[in-house]
Amino acid sequence: MSYRIAQYLFIIIVLLTLNFFLPRMMPGDPISYLVGDPGADAPLLMTEEMRQNLLRYYELDRPLGEQFQRYLSNLLRGELGWSISQNAPVAQVILGRLRWSLLLGGCAAAIYVPLGIVLGAVAAWHSTTPAGPAILGSVFFLGSWPSYFLGMLFIVFLSLKLGLFPIGGATSTLSARSGVLWSLVDVIHHGALPCATLVLGNLPGIVLLVHNSTMGLLGHDFVRAAKAKGLRQRRVLIKHVLPNAMLPLVTMIAMRLGFLVAGSVTVEVVFAYPGMGALITTAGIARDYPLLQGIFLIIMLLIVGFNLLADLLYTRLDPRVRATL
Amino acid sequence: MRHIPRAIRRLFCLIVSLGVLAGCGVAGLPGDSGRETVGQPTLPALTLPGDDWGYPSPFAFYARGPGYVRMSLLFDTLTWKDAEGLIPWLADDWTTSEDGTVWTFKLHPDVTWHDGNRLTAKDVAFTYTYFKAQRSLVTWSWPLDRIDTAEAVDEETVRITLTEPVAGAHDVLFGSLPILPQHIWEGIDDPLKALGEEVVIGSGPFTLAEYSKEEERYVYMAHPGYFKGGPRVSSLVFIKVENEALALKSGTTDYAAFSGKAIEAAKQFADDPEFEIIEGPGYWVLQLIFNTSRPPFDDVVLRRAVAHAIDRRRIVTQVTLDGAVVAELGVLSPETDWHHPDLPTYDHNPDEARRLLSQATEAAKLLPLTLIATAEYAREAELIQADLAEIGFPITVQVGDTGTLDGLLREGNFDVAINGHGGLANPAILESPTWPAMVYQNEVYRLIYEAQAQLSDDDARRPLVWQLQEMIASDLPVLTLWHPKMWTVYRSAKLDTWFYTPEGVGFGIPLAMNKLSFID
Repeated sequence: MSYRIAQYLFIIIVLLTLNFFLPRMMPGDPISYLVGDPGADAPLLMTEEMRQNLLRYYELDRPLGEQFQRYLSNLLRGELGWSISQNAPVAQVILGRLRWSLLLGGCAAAIYVPLGIVLGAVAAWHSTTPAGPAILGSVFFLGSWPSYFLGMLFIVFLSLKLGLFPIGGATSTLSARSGVLWSLVDVIHHGALPCATLVLGNLPGIVLLVHNSTMGLLGHDFVRAAKAKGLRQRRVLIKHVLPNAMLPLVTMIAMRLGFLVAGSVTVEVVFAYPGMGALITTAGIARDYPLLQGIFLIIMLLIVGFNLLADLLYTRLDPRVRATL
Repeated sequence: MRHIPRAIRRLFCLIVSLGVLAGCGVAGLPGDSGRETVGQPTLPALTLPGDDWGYPSPFAFYARGPGYVRMSLLFDTLTWKDAEGLIPWLADDWTTSEDGTVWTFKLHPDVTWHDGNRLTAKDVAFTYTYFKAQRSLVTWSWPLDRIDTAEAVDEETVRITLTEPVAGAHDVLFGSLPILPQHIWEGIDDPLKALGEEVVIGSGPFTLAEYSKEEERYVYMAHPGYFKGGPRVSSLVFIKVENEALALKSGTTDYAAFSGKAIEAAKQFADDPEFEIIEGPGYWVLQLIFNTSRPPFDDVVLRRAVAHAIDRRRIVTQVTLDGAVVAELGVLSPETDWHHPDLPTYDHNPDEARRLLSQATEAAKLLPLTLIATAEYAREAELIQADLAEIGFPITVQVGDTGTLDGLLREGNFDVAINGHGGLANPAILESPTWPAMVYQNEVYRLIYEAQAQLSDDDARRPLVWQLQEMIASDLPVLTLWHPKMWTVYRSAKLDTWFYTPEGVGFGIPLAMNKLSFID
């Protein structure tokens, strides 16, 4: 295990280095964006003096090596720097968005993961009856709509026609909500449609995986033995089949959770939801190096963290894996 | 549940905890300002669509038109503009020295800041001195380096001395530089990073009640004691919406702005009695920028051949669906007083294009040449590619993101590019017709530009501005393609005083979002 952790640490160091240098290799720079991007409605001419002043202010005039050293030492102190395009501390900008992405992605995952497991297992168990294909067909029909289109459908029918939900945003204005309980209701009200869109988009993958994994196990001797012992069908499925079907699922869930903050861009755009997706786009266009570094750091830690977690879970789930670590 | 392995149960708990923790976090925390709002039930509350344009302090707003507009709701300037043009604002009256360098303003009496303190000539003098001292951090186009001194003559009189005359000073300086309260700003060393509640205390018709960067939301409350009149609305709320037309139709917002290709979205409101539509000038141009600093587009004959080859009318019809007009070749919008009415038009003429192409330098045969554009203007690029292929001048098209395009243009690392920009109401935009690329070098042009930039007399300035437009149309460092039309659609029952400001809000911002719409 210590070897595996050392491996992850090495990956983190490599990624941190790439995080720093890759954005700086792209054409454009954050200072130019400050005074107007292509298409700006009020383009501003920047003199060389003005440019040098701003480079100095944001400490971008130093040699690249010195900037990298400063970045690493700041990182060790827990400082992510100042976002040039957002004019705010990077940590504040990211946390402001991250909480919404975690809320949306976390709630959606809390629904589609167990639901997908149940539906996939039931569909596999009843594969010889009409119920199995019916479950698979329904899930794929709903999940085959592109997220953007599904979101628009929700908005048109549930928000505009029926007026049940707001068309976008994450909360009402401060004046329209008071108290923690009402705020919570307000958050749920705003998050329901984007969450439902994410659930429908992610459900088929889980269902299919569990279904296929379960189907592959149903003919095995240990399942036949469990059935021969006279165990009830549900008990066979839950106690003997599902635990063995979980291995590929753990990998899939770990990967999806890793992309929790960056994987909902389309849904966030449709519902004008203040998540990380739109921020990544903005930071990229603005070539906002400190912000890009901060965002990629968070994504990297999440992906590496969840992959490590999956590795640890594997050792619990499968003794054969434990033996190789 | 007890049959499910413990590890899986833990993973599930982790997922749920993440969601719940984030939920508690977002529900329990106040917005960025943390201040509650107080409504005024007798007046309508307006909800408008918008994005995050930065904290609306005079130093922190994003240097874009909507950012300036949000700041202008909180802060006032010495002069302003109504539907007819220049009007007195914080200054009731002013005089100018003969050479245009000394300006003496008589302030309106009894103007107060949002915190109740009185606005005096000392605040105005402080503002001009402070901005001049902090000009290295300012990205808006105020000519701060032309400010020499600013002094309060008495409580209501301020004298501002410029180092040299500034053309259009009413617009570009006195009519757009926000006046700051000295008692707040004199202790602030780094105004860019000052993001507290105190730095949005101004003298404007609104106060800021809430700002949320992540939700891209602003809540403004009417300032009841405003010196220019009572409010027409109790509050203005800017919220992030994905689709402005949908938001307006659904009643989520009360206003929507469309331009150019969005003409169909605007048309759907035309027959709906609930809404009014006003049309305004875009003060914006989409243009083809030639890299005149390197072959083959350093050859004006080739640029003229390209101009004759491209059917600009077809682009306007097919791509913008007539939501735009064919652009003027002198760059400036035809709807400004500065526009030159008799410029060459380079009509679509493939035969003439072929003839010119045959005369062009050998470098014109350098291939492959690349036209770069953002995805938004890929259709224009395709039509231009087809037109040029027709005269035997093939080019390849490359589409990139705005950051890449911006970088390549600023580095001068391109052959020809499609790019658009605004600011066409003010001749100051002519300083670099190829903006943001700085590839056009013409000494005569530069001298004329600098001469007109120091003329405060518009009549004396106009012939020089026309001369600049003639040079652009003849020399063609850019081939302008189209100027968009703009439409503002609003729910008239809520507010029906929207208007487009001649030559833009502030200077050149083409939005029907003048604060005068919100006060009696």
